[in-house]
Amino acid sequence: MLATKKIKKKHWLLFGLLFVMGINVNAQERKITGKVTSSEDGLGLPGANVLIKGTRIGTSTDLDGSYELTVNGKITLEFNFIGFDTKDVVVGNTNTIDVALNSSVNTLSEIVVVGYGSQKKSDITGSVSSVKSAELTAYPVLSAEQALQGRSAGVSVQSNNGGEPGAPIKIRIRGGTSINASSDALVVVDGFVGGTMPPPEDIASMEILKDASATAIYGSRGSNGVIMVTTKKGKAGKPTIELNTSYSSQQVNNTLDVLNADQFAAYRATYVPGYVKGSADTNWQDVIYRAGAISNTQLSFSGGSDDVRYYVSANYFNQEGVIINSDLERYAITSNVDFKINDKFKAGINVFGNKSKRSGVSTQAQTGGTGNADVVSSAYRFAPDLGIYKQDGTYTTNSLGDDIDNPYASAMERVNETTFTAHRTNFYAAYEFIKGLEFKTTFGLDATNSKLGQFIPTTLIVGAGVGGQAEITETTRSTILSENYLTYKKDIGLGSLTLLGGYSYQKNRTEELYAGSQGFVTNSVSYHNLGAGSNPLIPGSELTEQELASLFGRINYDYNDKYLFTFTARRDGSSNFSENNKYAFFPSGAIGWNMGNENFLKDSKIISNFKWRASYGATGNPSIAPYGTLARFSETYAVIGDQVTNAVAVTSLANDDLKWETSYQADFGVDISFLDNKINFTADYYSIITKDLLFARPLPEYVGLANPYQIQNVGELENKGFEFALNTKNITNADFKWTTDFNISFNKNKINKLPNDEDILIASAPGHFLQSDSQILRVGESVGSFYGYIYDGVIQAGQTIPVGYENSPGGELLRDVNEDGKINSDDKTIIGDPTPDFIAGFNNDFKYKNFDMNIFFQASVGGDILNYTLLEMASGDSNATTEVLNAWTPTNTDTNVPMNARRAKRITSRYVYDGSYIRLKNISFGYNLPTDFLSTTGIEKIRVYVSAQNLWTQTKYPGADPEVNYQNNNNVRSNTNLGLDYGSYPNVKTFTMGINFKF
Amino acid sequence: MKKIIICIFSAALLISCSDLEENPVGILAPKSFFKSPSDVQAAVNGSFAYMASEKYWGRKLTVSLLLRGDMADIGDQTTSIARVEVNKFTMTDESAMVASFWPQSYAIIGAANQAIDGAKRVTGKEAEINAIAAQAYFARAFAYYNLVRLFGAIPYIDFAVSNVNDVNTLSKTPENEVYNKIISDLQYAKQWLPNKQKVKSLPTKGTAAAYLASVYLTLGDFQNAYTESKYVIDNETTFGLGLEADFQDLFRSTKTATLKEPLFTIDFIGQSRVGDLGQDYLASLTGIRGDQSHSYGEGWSVAVPTLKVFNDWDARDYRRAVSFDTTAVRNGKVVDYTKFTSMSSLAVNRPHIAKYNRYAGVAGSNGRESDNNYFIMRYAEVLLIAAEALNEITPGSPEATGYVNRLLLRARNKGGKMSNFPVDVPAGLSQTDLRARILNERRLELAFEFGRWFDIKRLKLGSEVFSPTGNEPQPNFDPKRDYYFPLPGDELNRNPNLLPNNAGY
Repeated sequence: MLATKKIKKKHWLLFGLLFVMGINVNAQERKITGKVTSSEDGLGLPGANVLIKGTRIGTSTDLDGSYELTVNGKITLEFNFIGFDTKDVVVGNTNTIDVALNSSVNTLSEIVVVGYGSQKKSDITGSVSSVKSAELTAYPVLSAEQALQGRSAGVSVQSNNGGEPGAPIKIRIRGGTSINASSDALVVVDGFVGGTMPPPEDIASMEILKDASATAIYGSRGSNGVIMVTTKKGKAGKPTIELNTSYSSQQVNNTLDVLNADQFAAYRATYVPGYVKGSADTNWQDVIYRAGAISNTQLSFSGGSDDVRYYVSANYFNQEGVIINSDLERYAITSNVDFKINDKFKAGINVFGNKSKRSGVSTQAQTGGTGNADVVSSAYRFAPDLGIYKQDGTYTTNSLGDDIDNPYASAMERVNETTFTAHRTNFYAAYEFIKGLEFKTTFGLDATNSKLGQFIPTTLIVGAGVGGQAEITETTRSTILSENYLTYKKDIGLGSLTLLGGYSYQKNRTEELYAGSQGFVTNSVSYHNLGAGSNPLIPGSELTEQELASLFGRINYDYNDKYLFTFTARRDGSSNFSENNKYAFFPSGAIGWNMGNENFLKDSKIISNFKWRASYGATGNPSIAPYGTLARFSETYAVIGDQVTNAVAVTSLANDDLKWETSYQADFGVDISFLDNKINFTADYYSIITKDLLFARPLPEYVGLANPYQIQNVGELENKGFEFALNTKNITNADFKWTTDFNISFNKNKINKLPNDEDILIASAPGHFLQSDSQILRVGESVGSFYGYIYDGVIQAGQTIPVGYENSPGGELLRDVNEDGKINSDDKTIIGDPTPDFIAGFNNDFKYKNFDMNIFFQASVGGDILNYTLLEMASGDSNATTEVLNAWTPTNTDTNVPMNARRAKRITSRYVYDGSYIRLKNISFGYNLPTDFLSTTGIEKIRVYVSAQNLWTQTKYPGADPEVNYQNNNNVRSNTNLGLDYGSYPNVKTFTMGINFKF
Repeated sequence: MKKIIICIFSAALLISCSDLEENPVGILAPKSFFKSPSDVQAAVNGSFAYMASEKYWGRKLTVSLLLRGDMADIGDQTTSIARVEVNKFTMTDESAMVASFWPQSYAIIGAANQAIDGAKRVTGKEAEINAIAAQAYFARAFAYYNLVRLFGAIPYIDFAVSNVNDVNTLSKTPENEVYNKIISDLQYAKQWLPNKQKVKSLPTKGTAAAYLASVYLTLGDFQNAYTESKYVIDNETTFGLGLEADFQDLFRSTKTATLKEPLFTIDFIGQSRVGDLGQDYLASLTGIRGDQSHSYGEGWSVAVPTLKVFNDWDARDYRRAVSFDTTAVRNGKVVDYTKFTSMSSLAVNRPHIAKYNRYAGVAGSNGRESDNNYFIMRYAEVLLIAAEALNEITPGSPEATGYVNRLLLRARNKGGKMSNFPVDVPAGLSQTDLRARILNERRLELAFEFGRWFDIKRLKLGSEVFSPTGNEPQPNFDPKRDYYFPLPGDELNRNPNLLPNNAGY
């Protein structure tokens, strides 16, 4: 009996009910009925709460949004529904009360997901921004990360390789907080740390945790910020079926103006006397580029009852890239089921499956030497007076510079396929012991498998020499994650206290396998029959395991909705850490003051909310590879007496004191809303000092390692900046709505300390440039500053020229920086800074009756780009841009372009450009078919839309596209190699049309 | 209900019993690696493996040595600037060639130091362990010998580095001290190495002695140079040494492993692993652009002798025919060297080096990853060292003349048929004449075998051979600067105690 009563009470208190529960009635009671709808589309809101204000008595709406409630006396009804503004209505004489609720996106009652819980936005003391489903699906993208671009202050997002299908997306939250460790944000998908990102269509919201108060709960992994991904869940009520499909056409955004065959022959003849022009005239960019296409379809079912709710979705994404022979296909399934076992016991399961196959062409070659050039850079480099085929039907190879395959041959003949599968199952159970005290346990498994198959046939230079070469590289990863935590919520007087404490254990296992073979009788088996090769390559395999065991806790105290306190701490123990430093502790604290709730502002008509926030804390970056602190012998390929023989050599030295990096972050923020939350403004200032940088320090080469580097904790880095976000509801008529979101972020990145405060030089030029240094790490400068000679234009007759470099008129004039009369490496200096001064996003949503329109601009200003492509094209070893038509000659001396010659590919300021741009990232028009038209069809909603991405770009950058990321594909490079451009897959303009159905 | 909760708790705790210690499977740790003498051998092999690298003998060091000398010039003028700089004496402290073979030299040394350190930790028969350690002493001496001749004073490390701070601020060791240490290593090697190894790519007692002779010759210590080379010659049979009957067989990749003439080889077998180990490009660099003679396709005409080198070499000398390719094949037709540019605009109308490209065996495109084994010392050189040293001690010695004549006798064997050229060195030449003759025989017999630059440096021949009338006119040659290569600038930046750079850089 007792138990039954309790259950009933629970229904009352927490979940609302579909049915009116029996309450004692007296003579004055009367029945109120009505319908709760969304002001946006007029549709009923099922499951909305209708409460008698000041009590917990009430009901919830049924499938149409209708309700019925018996009330007593003069009361006020409170209507609330997640995602909408709460509305109070005083019950007058009428017995019918219909209410239209306004969507509350970006307002304060919004629930924000934080680590191990969620909070009302108004209670948050940290710096957190949210990106909603509509923004993530505004235009078709393969990965949700990409959709974050420009959406949130302090978050910089860029493709690592232009418009390549499946290109990795690089995200930086408040700048790169490291030099050599990864600065990638931690991704947490439905509580699973490090989960594979689901398709954007399945994501309900993404929260970006930026300051230490928000991220310290993730301890040693928190310093780069955290992206919390919440997938869609079913709602109690009528089942919903959604079908979203779109088709996009893509084209290359921009090409380079290169010489045609006649111009090329004339150009060559100026420095290769007697050059004989080839017989063809080929624009290689035209040969390898094509119209691309994306088709994206998602079908989802969701719904449920109070006890079981479900969301199931399948997604198919297919992209044909704008370079021939590059494409990607993906299938994904997301399923969320939540069930209530009884009033105290809830459980749920989240299942995610993903399979994709990507065929790539080579781009961004690390070295473009013999046989190795990538498709894009060779389309720029390759002689235009050659055709695709020679007379004998074989492919042409380049007639100048390194011996490389033509871009068509390289794109069509090389096989490069990545098959990726991911499966994740995450189970949770939550039990409420007593009111307010809940225990939650989650147990998850995540398994991914990535297989890269490559084949170089004999029709290409490299393949010809070895009879074809096939290779398979397979990486299998599995993660087990178990998290167990208690949450206790208690109201004490005017205050409310929330305590969280828990334990987490995570284990990752990675296995890698490599096999390869050469010497095939035929090119037809590709990489699918390694045994057919007569010359097997040396196979490889590797196993790494890592464990992370953690304790974490958080205290939130909110006094009278005015004063907010948060304390967070996590202690991480990691197997990757060195012998003497196995455990790391990360505390943080924050205070918030809802000044808007103080008496002097409470009744202000202008200011509807005014909150101050301040936080300080420490978070870590654990990027120490498994076994990375141990000294290591590695087996080495050795031939002794014409036999491959066992051999070992030391490849790394031990470092028993190596520690994680620690970022100390202070954040001061303010959230102000005006005019009934029509204008919402957020500003933050932050300072992040990262100490004990994990540094792959170049050792003196005489130390005697094949790769003379060692990871050490040296140096200090700071990122300081301001972020501003402004959201305004400019017009909110029933028929016409206009909202604007603007965000802008200024980040300044500076190196404070380096080992012995000595400069560290970094080489990033393509290998065949044979250049040793192109960037510098120097105290007081930002990471990734370009380093080289200053180009002072063309030497003119009669000038006094320092010795050591070109000295005749028409040559390149380099500046003798130290004024010793000689040009040598002492004259290299900082010639550019790739860090932008600011990045910004500007979004406008319009709705007029059934029409909607979105215009979204994104900008980056003040970052420099070092363009290796243009450097190569000016070297005389390559086809050139039309710039050389204005080269210096004795009769054309007033020019900045030196006379035509072969030149070493030196890094000079001549190839450093301002990479600022503003881009119309998205423009779209949509139309919702009228509901009365649909009412006969049984379809709830049909929306058709057209959109275009990257339609317009304003930039002075002379390269193909200012969104560049060359040599950026590992941890070290992703921080130091910024603003480099070489052979990137071209960025694209996309035109999309789509249709959404809701049943 | 409680049961369920207890289960969940215990499951959570069970999975979390971990000490966070790393127990890597499949990864070798230096501390625990050395258990038996064969482990020491594996570490020594690591040192030899690093020699057979693109960064060292496979290209960067060897092509630098070829181009620096007077026997090979740049052919294809569009080749990489880094090579041109070495050839034209316009190197800077940023030389991409040095940036490659400098660290690789020290990787060879580092691996040898680890092996020597490991030898101290294993238990077993002293003689057996020392014989293996002696290989590492040899490898270390070999790498330092090349470094000291190229750079002069250099950082010298003869222990296994386990802590970087031990060496961060090292200063350069003066040239003469480096030589003393090399001699001491080679003496240890000579003491403990066996008379013979199963394969020619491991050093023997004879190899160590021959290198001692070479070092002493470099230092002008003719008595010791003679003593050491005479020791090898006297033990010719014990060491299994001799001259091959047919000079061509020395440069036939299928035969090199079975020859008696080499004292030490660096082996390539036509394959490599990802990276630079096992990669050899000498066949590519010396082969002819546009030539279709070989299954592996055209070469790159990078290092091509001047016409004078070819023309001055008596056409009757069989060794010239072995050393040079004067024709190529294009579309089934033989093309004479005077018309090589008709095959490719990057070719050059000069005879090309044939020693590495003609019989490169199983090789990748352009002859890369050849099957060649390179002689780092062969018996012919030992005879020439003995002859040169003896002539300095005992001018005009008939014994010295005799050593040279052994080579000339072999040269008269033209692929099995005896000819009458070159004729023996006549008896009774003056010291000067015999010296000149021996040096010229060194130049021809060992042509393109990477030692000529060291001879030019040792004998200060630069101003003569690079003069307008020399073998390879090079107007930039500056004897005050160019007998040393520049130390790598970034290394000096990392450790300023290594400053200053060599004069002129």
